[in-house]
Amino acid sequence: MIISVIGLGVSIYLTVEHYTGNATLACSSNGTIDCAKVTTSPESKIIGIPVAVLGLPFFVAMVAANLPAAWRSTLPWLRLGRLLSVGVGIVFVLYLVYVELFRVDAICLWCTSVHVLTFLLLVIVLLAEAGRDSFAP
Amino acid sequence: MTGPKTPKARAMREQMKRQEARRRQLMIAGSAVAVVVLVVVVLVVVKVAGGGKKNDTTSNASGSVVSQLTSVPASVWQQAGDGGATPPNKISGVDPLTSNGKPELLYYGAEWCPYCAAERWPLAVALSRFGTLTNLGQTHSAVDDQPSNIPTLSFHGSKFTSKYLTFTPIETQDNNRKTLDTPTKAQQDLVEKLDTPQYVGGQGSGSIPFITYGNKLASSGSAYDPTILSGKSHAKIAADVHSGSGKDGQTINGAANVFTAAICQMTNNQPSNVCSASAIKSIVGKLGAS
Repeated sequence: MIISVIGLGVSIYLTVEHYTGNATLACSSNGTIDCAKVTTSPESKIIGIPVAVLGLPFFVAMVAANLPAAWRSTLPWLRLGRLLSVGVGIVFVLYLVYVELFRVDAICLWCTSVHVLTFLLLVIVLLAEAGRDSFAP
Repeated sequence: MTGPKTPKARAMREQMKRQEARRRQLMIAGSAVAVVVLVVVVLVVVKVAGGGKKNDTTSNASGSVVSQLTSVPASVWQQAGDGGATPPNKISGVDPLTSNGKPELLYYGAEWCPYCAAERWPLAVALSRFGTLTNLGQTHSAVDDQPSNIPTLSFHGSKFTSKYLTFTPIETQDNNRKTLDTPTKAQQDLVEKLDTPQYVGGQGSGSIPFITYGNKLASSGSAYDPTILSGKSHAKIAADVHSGSGKDGQTINGAANVFTAAICQMTNNQPSNVCSASAIKSIVGKLGAS
């Protein structure tokens, strides 16, 4: 749950940054590390929705699904939903890493922290599910 | 033979089946994590290996490009206005920057940077109104940056002679991000002090290109969008600038007028034939407005 809460916090920050950051006509002297370039790039939106905004419902759902009571629950739909959500999340992360590296040509460390948090969620959820009985009732 | 059928044996078989199932689930989970890690590693390796894209190398600027840029007819730049270029910011409370007894214009950029690529064209045009600019390079910004592969000049190794000002260009890196010019400690300190939102507005905080006009005015970032140069040859851009035609020619001449007005602030409006031109005088009032 702690990871989900941190992820939600970073997503909120990135959403604010997306709406308030200026698109700059400048290169970051840090070279590849350039958050503003990533969060204000045309690729920062998917079908008109800012990527940062898409992260919000994901982490809200993960916070809810990873509350202690929900984490202990054996409800198949809850466990399957959590697993599928984190699976979709990591596929999205891989796409965003590709976009940062090959389309925007810049890395945003805040975005990278969200990617790492999503990966950690994947590892924890997968390991937890591997240690439980299967979904079959 | 069906094996033992006692409750204890059945329980053991169930236990073993559960353990086997968990072992299988653990393997699947481990494989999924490994696939994610592998995909990221492959993406990074392909990126680091260059992704098949190669940066331009810097060569001496062609004679015709230089002569067209440094001889833009007055009638052309009179018509260009400011071309919509972003003016530099006014600086106050900082000691004037001088060198060899003349006001100093310090340019700080890098060959890989597409926004520096845009900035060099009008800066070269503007400087040529105050003196003689030679030994210019010709290259493109990096292909692995966005916007990519912008045709440009390079100030690395260039020479500028003028009785009005000193031009100090610092191209920190080439388009493969290898070190070119190393600033002195004083120059680095000055850039770190002025290239901040306090002095150059929102684009500051170490962004390049950075220019200080004798510490009277300064800018961070390019004066116009580099994408208007995408796909054009150096010869075409130089020809457009010389004739004032095309969006690139109009924009570069406009930005050159803005830079010229800024330089006139350094040189006490000398030479008068440049600084008293109506196109320049009309821009002076706008300087520092951004």
